[in-house]
Amino acid sequence: MPPLLHLQDLSKRFGQVVIADGLNLEVEPGAAVGIVGPNGAGKTSLFGLISGDLRPDHGAVRFGGRTINRLDGAARCRAGIGRTYQVPRPFEGLTVFENVLLAAQQGAGAKKNASYALAGQALFRARLSAEANRSAASLGLLQRKRLEVARALASRPRLLLLDEVAGGLTDPEVRELVEIVRAANADGVAIVWIEHVVRALMATVDRLVCLAGGRFIADGTPTDVLASPAVREVYLGTAMDLEVPA
Amino acid sequence: MSTTVTDATVPPLAPTTASSTLRVVRASRLPNWLTPILAAAGLGLLAFLPAFAPQSETALFVNVFVLLTMALMWNLLAGYAGMVSIGQQAFVGLGAYGVLIFAKSGMEPVASLPLAAIAAAIIALPVSLLVFRLRGGYFAIATWVVADLAMQVIDSISAVGGGTGENVPGLSSLSPAAFGRVTYFAALAVVALALAASYGLLRSRLGLVLAAVRDDEVGARSAGARVMRARRIVFVVAALGCGAAGALLAVSQLQVQPASVFNVQWSAEMIFATLIGGIGTLEGPILGTVIFFVLQQNLANDGAWYLIIFGSLAVLIAIWAPKGIFGLIDRRFAISLFPLGHRVEHLSRPASAPPAPVAANPTSSRGGAVGAAGPPA
Repeated sequence: MPPLLHLQDLSKRFGQVVIADGLNLEVEPGAAVGIVGPNGAGKTSLFGLISGDLRPDHGAVRFGGRTINRLDGAARCRAGIGRTYQVPRPFEGLTVFENVLLAAQQGAGAKKNASYALAGQALFRARLSAEANRSAASLGLLQRKRLEVARALASRPRLLLLDEVAGGLTDPEVRELVEIVRAANADGVAIVWIEHVVRALMATVDRLVCLAGGRFIADGTPTDVLASPAVREVYLGTAMDLEVPA
Repeated sequence: MSTTVTDATVPPLAPTTASSTLRVVRASRLPNWLTPILAAAGLGLLAFLPAFAPQSETALFVNVFVLLTMALMWNLLAGYAGMVSIGQQAFVGLGAYGVLIFAKSGMEPVASLPLAAIAAAIIALPVSLLVFRLRGGYFAIATWVVADLAMQVIDSISAVGGGTGENVPGLSSLSPAAFGRVTYFAALAVVALALAASYGLLRSRLGLVLAAVRDDEVGARSAGARVMRARRIVFVVAALGCGAAGALLAVSQLQVQPASVFNVQWSAEMIFATLIGGIGTLEGPILGTVIFFVLQQNLANDGAWYLIIFGSLAVLIAIWAPKGIFGLIDRRFAISLFPLGHRVEHLSRPASAPPAPVAANPTSSRGGAVGAAGPPA
């Protein structure tokens, strides 16, 4: 069985800035992978390359055994790649339910009652059911982050790309978000999660990769990766909390 | 919204049967039956107009219906799909010339009206490939260039009368009264279809895509929305509507001339009617078209003042009421005859859960969804 996501020698640069330098990565169906790395390491750009917002200069993105380099973002979502954005992108003129309904109808291709049910289910999983009829413009940060997750889930993804969904949240909020993500993963959705809040990752992923300067410098169990000298070195002098929680 | 329903009351994640607990209604604050009743009453009233109104009146209504059709189409383009076109006269002209060409080949002009509109829509497809490469102001100018190009091409074809145009054959045998009735009912049918199609399109899944794209195009794409496809459908539908409006012009005026049917004035008028009434609503173009004709009828004898007053009004509205006159009404009374939003109602909930709080939600632009939902059972 081929890996769900397979990055082959993926390279991308903007002028002199290298954001991906020959990246290779395989993610198995149902896996939970965390990505750490210093600011400017190319983490969000990597998501752009996977989700279709960015086109690689070189290399291939393969999903479910198929090369998807030529598919745009919408087609990749339809193929089963759901993503969230670091800065949430709610449709502020719509209600919370309609935000999610769009993904159910377009991303998952559901119609009428099936799309309503799918959207309702995604809201329920992201614990936003009570906000269904609220305007998305009225949501606070935590709820906006949950809406990103709900929208991605409603597209019925096989792979969910989470871009710092725990950033800026309080500890109890992070715990709730971790539960939401773990539940999605338990349902068989593969997770790739970029996060600076390492304790959120530790509670969720069983594999961690570290990205620095457009290259993967470590790949393994979270404990091993955080303890590795290469990772320690790139984080040297930063305020990152790399201590493994007891 | 009240937060009486806290997250603590949400049961732990479990397999859900959301479909059994959830009902989605499309409604505004007004009762559901109001729109169909009003639509039927309006249509019925207008259908009986030729029975008691003089022909000069019905001829005026034909012009009202033509402009309203155009304004509804421009509203779809600019108000919902974010495409500011100032070249819709291209399709007005093509629709008019479609009628001329079909009539010259022996077809009944009124019967050729749908065919002329479809021809305009077919031509819009390759045009979209060209102009969709541009955005914003560049797109607007490109549409105007296309319209001018279409006029130049027609202008140079002597078989359809070249620059002087030609009379539409096949209608001269009708008595003036019969001709008036035929054009009136054709125009009424076109405008009713244009309104029904706009409403249907905006309530469909495509309508939700357009609303999402208007708020955040990147977000819409990442949720799977095919943005280009949605825009292209709207562009073709708008060409169909403007083509039908142009075909009506050809039928009602009995002659077509390039400088008249391809005049940029058509775009100016549809933009005026939409902006004055309220862009991004279906009520807006209707209100704007009525205002346009009321002003025109009362000011037409005052020469240049007519245009000065139109221009000043447009400027005042653009500055102080960017959502148009219907926007002012809607903000004050929150009435929408054409609800586009979705309201969720949870049909059953655990007995332990508190009753769902109900709060008005004036912030949704899609018909004002009202009420809040409790957790699903």
